[in-house]
Amino acid sequence: MKEKPDVLQGTLALMVLKTLDVLEPQHGWGIARRIEQISGDLLAVNQGTLYPLLLRLEHEGSIASEWGVSENKRRARFYRLTAAGRKQLQAETRDWEQTAAIIARFFNVKAEDLS
Amino acid sequence: MRWWQIRKRDADLERELSSDLELEVEEQRERGLSPEEARLAALRAFGNPTLIREQSHLAWGLEWLESFLKDVAYGIRSLFRSPALTAVALLSLGLGIGANTAIFSFLDAILLRNLPVQQPSQLVLVGTGAWSGRSDAWAISELYSYPFYRDLQKNNTVFSDTASILSMTNSVFGTVDNRDHTEPMKVQLISGTYFPTLGVRPLLGRLLTDEDDNTEGNHPVAVISYAWWAGSLSRDPQVLNRKLKLGNTTFDIVGVAPQEFFGTTVGQRPDIWVPMSMIAFVPPNWGSYSDKRNESLYIFGRLKPGVSLDQATSNINLVFHQIWLSYRNAHVTQQDLADLQKTQVPLTPMEKGLSGLRSEYSKPLKVLISLTGIVLLIACANIANLLLARSTARVREFAVRQALGAKRSRLIRQLLTESLLLAAAGGALGIALTGLANRILLRMISSGPDTIPLDVSIHTDVLLFTIGVTVFTALLFGTLPALRATKLELTESLKDGRSADNGGQKTPLAKGVIITQIAFSLVLLVGAILFVRSLINLNHVDTGFNRENALVLSLDPSSIGYKDSEPRLSTLYQQIEQRIAAIHGVTSASFAMFTFSQGAWNNSVIIPGIDPSLSHNISQNVVGNDYFKAMQIPIIAGRAFGPQDTSTSQKVTIISESFAKRFFPNTNPIGRHFAIGVDQNVPQYDMEIIGIAKDAKFEGLGEGRTYTDYMPYAQRARYLQSLVVRYTGDPAIVSGAVQNTIHSIDGGLPITRVSSLEEQVAGSITQQRTVAQLSTFFGLLAVFLCCIGIYGLMSYMVSRRTNEIGIRMALGAERSNVSWLIMREIILLVTIGVVIGVPVALAGSRLVTNMLFGIQGTDAITLIASVAALLLVGIISGYLPARRASQVDPMMALRYE
Repeated sequence: MKEKPDVLQGTLALMVLKTLDVLEPQHGWGIARRIEQISGDLLAVNQGTLYPLLLRLEHEGSIASEWGVSENKRRARFYRLTAAGRKQLQAETRDWEQTAAIIARFFNVKAEDLS
Repeated sequence: MRWWQIRKRDADLERELSSDLELEVEEQRERGLSPEEARLAALRAFGNPTLIREQSHLAWGLEWLESFLKDVAYGIRSLFRSPALTAVALLSLGLGIGANTAIFSFLDAILLRNLPVQQPSQLVLVGTGAWSGRSDAWAISELYSYPFYRDLQKNNTVFSDTASILSMTNSVFGTVDNRDHTEPMKVQLISGTYFPTLGVRPLLGRLLTDEDDNTEGNHPVAVISYAWWAGSLSRDPQVLNRKLKLGNTTFDIVGVAPQEFFGTTVGQRPDIWVPMSMIAFVPPNWGSYSDKRNESLYIFGRLKPGVSLDQATSNINLVFHQIWLSYRNAHVTQQDLADLQKTQVPLTPMEKGLSGLRSEYSKPLKVLISLTGIVLLIACANIANLLLARSTARVREFAVRQALGAKRSRLIRQLLTESLLLAAAGGALGIALTGLANRILLRMISSGPDTIPLDVSIHTDVLLFTIGVTVFTALLFGTLPALRATKLELTESLKDGRSADNGGQKTPLAKGVIITQIAFSLVLLVGAILFVRSLINLNHVDTGFNRENALVLSLDPSSIGYKDSEPRLSTLYQQIEQRIAAIHGVTSASFAMFTFSQGAWNNSVIIPGIDPSLSHNISQNVVGNDYFKAMQIPIIAGRAFGPQDTSTSQKVTIISESFAKRFFPNTNPIGRHFAIGVDQNVPQYDMEIIGIAKDAKFEGLGEGRTYTDYMPYAQRARYLQSLVVRYTGDPAIVSGAVQNTIHSIDGGLPITRVSSLEEQVAGSITQQRTVAQLSTFFGLLAVFLCCIGIYGLMSYMVSRRTNEIGIRMALGAERSNVSWLIMREIILLVTIGVVIGVPVALAGSRLVTNMLFGIQGTDAITLIASVAALLLVGIISGYLPARRASQVDPMMALRYE
């Protein structure tokens, strides 16, 4: 089995929120699948990290859950984004873009730029 | 999240996980795998569902609570796995906590608690409060007359307020309103300044003031206690309109004292307070408002701000001498004046109130609290041992759990929980036992039929302290081994289940605990044996009278209008004696002022040719003609009183043997005369000696020779409180018949108490008996706990050394050798314990020597007996494990390798 890198610490929450923003409602397994799919199967989602995270997000009020019927006609727990979650997603997106921009500038820096 | 949602949450999570796992299985199947393969593949992709669940639990932040609840459940299960040891541990904890808290509650109530009045620390008593009663002696420093109180109040410069209180409580049979029956009431006579000096505020109405105490006889007012208002008057809101009849006088109830106020004497709780101006109207009409030589009061005062005790003492002494000098008259001798010069009046702080209980019980209570303290230590040692053994035996379990990934902190936390559980259960048991012990103790120290009114509610501070000590012990000894155990090399302890080096060497802590227990047990055992032998000695004292088959009844003629010294008292007594003596089963009956341990009336006597300073403190008793027959005190010379001794004939007396030997050493005292009333205004009372009686104990079993003179009541009419009835047959039937006879003579004459000489003798050594019983109980408890400790430790060591024993036996060791191996250990431990315990016990018993009777604190037999007893029980409790060791099958033992 090929080793895939785990999701970077702290970014999983953002991924979960964004996934739910695009495709809601979604159950836990589905969220993991979507994240892997979006990453082009470059990332593996550790279930042991995902479920505690879902619980935490729900506890914080960013997402809400309810029991529903899955595609295989079984009961499953579906998560969706709340208004607070949407706001958090926007804020975190902005933060992330800013961080990414800063990092990008570091990567592009050349010696003559600093002279 | 709320903790009670845990279960629901957990179920939800489990369902979510399984449904998501299903989705994964579904997907794997779509790829064409068989259902079984799909399931395994899904699990592989998904990860360990249990682990995921546990990690999710952490996200709730309540993991600690969950594991705590699990630990509690596990702890309870493991405690129940060794029920006997757990029961012993709990019982010893409970008894340790209960006994300490109970004894301390008494110590607090009797010795430590302040009076519930304003600024009690400013109150001081003139004298020491050691006496109570009435005296007519010249210038004594304990009791005072009412005129003296007024003079002291006027002339002293150190008290802002001065008050006085009768040193006795009047037990009166009074009537409430117009009820048709009398009921017993405890009446306390006080000066009008009493309540203002204490600064007590009324609950209802008003309290007494100096206005109620300025002229004799015309202030029939009374303040009642909260308890009496709540009990006898059922909290009647109209109480201020109600009246009380005491003797022949009707008193108005003018107020109710606050609930917390019980008076100023700890262990007494008056129902009614009456001003001193009514002293002659409250039965039995003790004391006098105007007689300067009728000394029956305590005087106390409130120090002015800034006045020290020393300043107050010098001022009060100055005033004391001035007042007594002003009381000088023709009867006062040079000797009296010289005595006055020497008399110093001590002032005693009164913040904790007066108490006869205090002088009687302060030493015993201190001894008892030391004993219970030691019991608590032993109980803690026992817990320590139990926990040590348990956690050492679990080293392997911990190694396994650590190997499986348990965190060290998690294991320690679990051990802590278990220890706490034990301590908490012990504490709960302790609280339950405290209440019980308080009631038993109160019963034990109350010699009469009524318990002493003492507030011994459970003392929270001490309870918390004792529980704190036990919790601390449990935590310390439960955790120390845990810390040690969890630090060890895993592979080592996994390898050796029970290897040789795991034997004796690793238990120095446990051995130290056992040695301590033995040393302490020895101390308790020595104490117990000393107190019990002292009690036995007391019980074997020759009282001089026959304590068996004699009833003692107390009658109260003062309640039906009889006055002290009235001649018709004699007529009443004679009538009762004659009628009772005629009852079937009664051999003889006689009234007496005192029988045994009922107080005393001491006087100086004037014997021609004897220096008066030698003949002080002679006990006087006024008795009926048949007294010596009823008490069975032999008359060894002369005759007993008879009908020929009348109020008009020559005054006669019978003296005790010691009296005769001391004052008439070489002559026959019969026919000689002496007089009482050495320094009174009244004419001297001259008497002829007509007989000598054998010595009889008078005030207590411990007293030495008794110098007593007896007078017939026919010649000296007095209130006589006791009626002795000598009987044969069933005491219940005789007692009933006697009481019926008294009622038939006068239906209104109250019988205040029915007891027996035996009960009176037993009652006089209540304190000694209480101490002996309690110290025996604690001593046995200590020895028992010690045995359990030895047994536990030895069993544990045998089980750890099974392997070694197996090898020894395989190599040819005899069974007796193996037994000796274990026994040697026990004997060594007990010996070390005894060696440490003996000097401690000797030091301790020296402190209690003056509580003992007929035996020295350093009694060798007691010490030897205690040591022998401890050795014996130590060896017995170690014998079983040693026997088990000798029966080890070498093959079985070695197969474990």
